[in-house]
Amino acid sequence: MKYRVLVILILFSIHPVLAQKIVRYDLYVKDTLVNFAGKEKRAIAVNGQIPMPTLTFTEGDVAEIYVHNQLKEETSLHWHGLLLPNKEDGVPNLTQMPIKPGTTHKYSFPIIQNGTHWYHSHSGLQEQIGMYGNFVMLKRPNDPTFRKGIDDLPTVPIVLSEWTDLKPENIHRMLHNANDYPALKKNTVQSYSEAIQAGHFQTKLKNEWKRMSALDVSDVYYEKILMNGKPSTDLKSIDGKELKAGDQLRLRISNGGASSYFWLTYAGGKITVVANDGNDVVPVEVDRLIIAVSETYDVIVSIPSENTAFEFLATTEDRTNLASYYIGNGIKQLKSRQPRLKYFEGMKMMNDMMKMNGDLDDMGMSMSLNQMDMNVVMYPEITGDSKPKQDDKDPNRYNANALADIVTLNYAMLKSPVNTNLPQQAPVKVLRFNLSGNMNRYVWSMDNQVVSEAKKILIKKGENVRIIIYNGSMMRHPMHLHGHDFRLLNGQGNNAPLKNIVDIMPMETDTLEFNANAEGDWFFHCHILYHMMSGMGRVFSYENQAPNPLIPNPRLAKRMLYADDRKFHLMTENDFANNGNDGMMMIQSTRWSIGTEWRLGYNDMHGYETETHIGRYMGKMQWLMPFIGFDWRFRKMGINEEEKNIFNQTNSKDKRAQFSLGVNYTLPLLMIAQAEVYQGGNVRFQLMREDMPISKRLRMSFMVNTDKEYMAGFRYIVNKNIGMTTHYDSDMGFGVGLSVNY
Amino acid sequence: MKSISKIGMAMTFLLSYTVCSAQIKNAQVESVKILGNCEMCKKTIEKAGNVLNVAEVNWDKNTKIAILTYDSNKTNRDEILKRVALNGYDSDTYLAPSDVYAKLSDCCQYERKAVVTAKTNTTKQVGDAKIDLKIEIVEHKQEVVAEKKQDVDLWTVLFDHYFALKDALVKTDGNTASSKANMFLTAIGEVKMEKLSSTQHNVWMKIQKDLAFDAEHIADTKEASHQRDHFITLSKNMYDLIKVSKQETLTYYQFCPMANKGKGAHWLSKDNMIKNPYFGSKMLGCGKTIELIN
Repeated sequence: MKYRVLVILILFSIHPVLAQKIVRYDLYVKDTLVNFAGKEKRAIAVNGQIPMPTLTFTEGDVAEIYVHNQLKEETSLHWHGLLLPNKEDGVPNLTQMPIKPGTTHKYSFPIIQNGTHWYHSHSGLQEQIGMYGNFVMLKRPNDPTFRKGIDDLPTVPIVLSEWTDLKPENIHRMLHNANDYPALKKNTVQSYSEAIQAGHFQTKLKNEWKRMSALDVSDVYYEKILMNGKPSTDLKSIDGKELKAGDQLRLRISNGGASSYFWLTYAGGKITVVANDGNDVVPVEVDRLIIAVSETYDVIVSIPSENTAFEFLATTEDRTNLASYYIGNGIKQLKSRQPRLKYFEGMKMMNDMMKMNGDLDDMGMSMSLNQMDMNVVMYPEITGDSKPKQDDKDPNRYNANALADIVTLNYAMLKSPVNTNLPQQAPVKVLRFNLSGNMNRYVWSMDNQVVSEAKKILIKKGENVRIIIYNGSMMRHPMHLHGHDFRLLNGQGNNAPLKNIVDIMPMETDTLEFNANAEGDWFFHCHILYHMMSGMGRVFSYENQAPNPLIPNPRLAKRMLYADDRKFHLMTENDFANNGNDGMMMIQSTRWSIGTEWRLGYNDMHGYETETHIGRYMGKMQWLMPFIGFDWRFRKMGINEEEKNIFNQTNSKDKRAQFSLGVNYTLPLLMIAQAEVYQGGNVRFQLMREDMPISKRLRMSFMVNTDKEYMAGFRYIVNKNIGMTTHYDSDMGFGVGLSVNY
Repeated sequence: MKSISKIGMAMTFLLSYTVCSAQIKNAQVESVKILGNCEMCKKTIEKAGNVLNVAEVNWDKNTKIAILTYDSNKTNRDEILKRVALNGYDSDTYLAPSDVYAKLSDCCQYERKAVVTAKTNTTKQVGDAKIDLKIEIVEHKQEVVAEKKQDVDLWTVLFDHYFALKDALVKTDGNTASSKANMFLTAIGEVKMEKLSSTQHNVWMKIQKDLAFDAEHIADTKEASHQRDHFITLSKNMYDLIKVSKQETLTYYQFCPMANKGKGAHWLSKDNMIKNPYFGSKMLGCGKTIELIN
C-alpha cells in the first residue's frame, strides 16, 4: 500500500516534466524595402515585419525556433540575455557557423528563466536595419516569485530602435574617417566661432590643445526613432480592452537601438521600475531613467485621468530625436521635451578631466553605477539654462538627484527582491579591464587590445568570476555578457541586482561577479554596434570544455570572427580646383594606415606629385605613426632653376622617385608634425593642420615644410560628399575648386 | 440678414488669409480653438506654429480661435497644434506639458479646462515583493486643497506653503519665495483656532506673531539673501509647530552648520536628501538630517 502511494506520488511529480510544452516559431528572414524617412531604403524584415515578431514563452517551455534565411547574405540570431547551451547562443563563427543564404537553422533550448529580453542578429550590421525583436518569458502562474499587481498587469512589449537612411556599412566607414556629417546634421560641430559666441573660446582652445576633437554624447545621426517600428503610436486598448482612467500597465521595454541610449519619461506621473535586464527588482519610483543600448527595463505606468492619453517618450541621449506612445483614450497630454545639451559646458568638463597624456583624471571622485553623471553639466533641466552655479567643491556637483527635484534612476537604486549571493566556497578569479578608446580614429578596445589582438580569457567551471571594469575612454559603454547573469555590486549587499549589461560612464569603475556554470565560448563586449565591430570585446572560454559540434573548423571560424575588427576602411578625397587637383586616398585599420596623397597640376610647370605612406599607429592615443614612404614627382623647372630646401640640400624636382622613412606625431592643437628622410639623404620637416572647424560648415587647413612649400586653404562643407574650396599653394598658386570626398 | 453679413465677414477673413499666405502651396485652411490670454500668448502661439512656407498660424486673443494655413502635402493640423502645445498652450487635440505651462509668464496663465493633476500613492511591501499601487484622481487642484483643509490637520496648508517656500529658496528664486510667503500669510489667518487642542493652542499663540513677522518680510522682498535671514527663525518656529501637529508623512529636520554666517541653521524637508535652502546651488548638498518627525 505504502509503495503504491509512493508510485502515484512519483507519477504526479513526473507529470509536469512530461507536460513540458514545445513552442515552435518559424522565422523567415528576407530583404525588404522600407520608407521610414521619405526615401525607399533596404531593410531586413522577419515574417514581413520590422521589428521582428515578439516571441513569447512561459518558463518551463522548450523553444524551437526555425530560422529560414532568405537573404542573399549570411545571418544569425542571438537570444540576448538568455541562459542557454552555448551552441544555441547565435554568435556566428564563435558558437555556430553563420546561417548560409537559402538554408534553415534550428535553435532549440529549454526556457529556464523568466523576464523581458530581446533577440537580434549578431551578423555584421544587420541589427541596424531591422533585425531586432522582443523576447518575453512569462512566469508560471504558481511561481513563488509571482508578484500580484505586477506580474498580472496588462502588458505591452516595446522594442526601441533607430532608423538611418544611410547604409550602416557607410556609417561605420564614416565613423572611422571622422566625417563630421552627423555633427552637422545634429548641429553639434562646436566650432571656434560657435565657441566664441557662447563665450567659450578658451574652452575650445584648451580642448584642441589637449588634442581632442569636439565630442558628442553619441556619434550617429538618425532620421527616425522607433518604438515597435513607429515614431508615434496610439495605445488605446490592450487585448481588446479599452484603457481607462485608473488603469495600470506594464511596459516591457528593450533597447534594440544599435548605438543610442534613450531617456524614458512619462506625462502621466511617475514611472515605477519593476525589473531590469529580465530580472525582478524591488519596485522603485522615478521621474526618468536612461536605458543603455541593449538593456531592458520593465516599468509600470498608470493612467491618471479620464478622456486623456498620456505621452510616454523615448528621447535619444543627445536629445535630437524622439518617439512617443500615447497611452489612453482622448486628448493627448504631452510630456515636455528635454532641452538641448550645453555642449561647451561638456567640453569644459572634459578639459578638466583630460590629462595631457590622454589619460583621464577623476580628481579624486571614485565614480560608479551611474550615480555621478558628469553629463549633468550639460543638462539644462538639472544645472539651469546658463553656466552652472554650483561650487567646484560641492561633493554633489555631478549628482543629478541631489541637484534637482526630479528623480533619475541609477544602478545603486536597483535591488533584487531575492538573495543573489554566489556559492560561498567556490574559488574566486578576479579579472580587471580598462575600457580604452580613441575617439579621433574610432578605435575601441579593452586594455588597448581589440578582439583579434587578444587571447581568449580562460575560466574554470565552478569558480566565481569577479570582473572589475574601469572606463578610461571618453564615451560610455554598455558591456554585455553572453550566457550568464551577473551580480552588479551596487551596495545592496545580498540583494545585488542581476543583470547582463552594465553601462559604464567615463571614469567609472564597476564590479560585477558571476558563477561560471555554463560551459562554452561566451562573448563579452560593448553593445554599441559600431564599437563591437571595431573590436571592443573579449571571449570567455571554459577550460577543457567539449568541442562545439556546430564549429567543425575552429581555426577557420576564429579567422572569420577576427575579420570584423581587422577590416580596412577606405576614404578618399579630391579637390578639383582651377590650379590643379589635390587629393588623397587612404585605407586604415585599427593600427595600420596606407595612404597616397597627390597634387596634379594641369601643365608641366605646375608638376605632378604623389606621396605614399604606409604607417603603423603606436600607443593608446595613436599620436605617433612611423611610416615608410615613396615619393614620385615630375615638374619642369626653368633653365638653371634649382630648388633648395632650408638646409641647402638640392631637390631634384622635375623627375624624382624616392623612398623615405618618416614619422608623424600629433601635437597639441591637433597639428601633425612630420619628419621624413629620403634615400638621397634629403630631410624634410613639415607641420600641418587639417579641418580646423572655423564655423559650423567652414574648415581651415594649412601646411608648411622645410622644402619651402606651404599651403593654406578653406573648405566649405556643402554636404557629406561635396565641399567648396579655396586655397593658396606655393607650387600652384591661388585656386578655387570643388572637393569631392568619400 | 445679420447671419449673412457674418458669413460674408468670415469669407473675407478667410480669403484675405489665402492672399496673405500665397507662398504656402497646397494650402489648407482650418480654424481651431487654442486657449490663451493676451498679446504675449499670441506671439508665442504663432511663433511656435509657424514654419516658413509650410504653416502659418493666426490667433485671435478675443475669440481664442486660430486660423491655421498649411501645406497639406507637408504637414497637418496635429503637427502644428503639437508644437503650440509644447510651448504651453492647450487645444482640443493636445494638452501642454504642465511644467511648460507653469513657466508661462503671469499674464499668460490662462485658465485650463481639462487639465488634471495626477497623484499616485504607492505603498510597497518589500518582503514578499508585493506592490499595491493606489491612484487618486484629482480633478481640480483648488477644490482638493479646500477639501483637505477641513478634514486633515489644521496646519497642513501652512506646511504646504512652507515647503513650497523652502523649495523656492533652494532654487534661489526670490520671486516665487515672495509669493509663497504671501500665501503662507493668508494661511496663518485661516487657521481655525477653535479646533486646536490646548497644547496646540498654546504653541500657536506663542509663535503666530513671529511667523507672520518673518513671512511678511520674506513676502516684501525679492532678495533671496534677506529672505533667508528670516527663513532661519521661521523654520525654528515651524519646527515647534510640527512637534505638536499630526503629519501624514515623515518630515526631516535638517541642519547646515555653515548657514547663518557659520552659526548654523535648520529647516524642515519632506525629503531625506539634503537640498540646502540657505545656499541654493552654491552648496546644495551641505547639511544633514538631525531628526525624523512623525
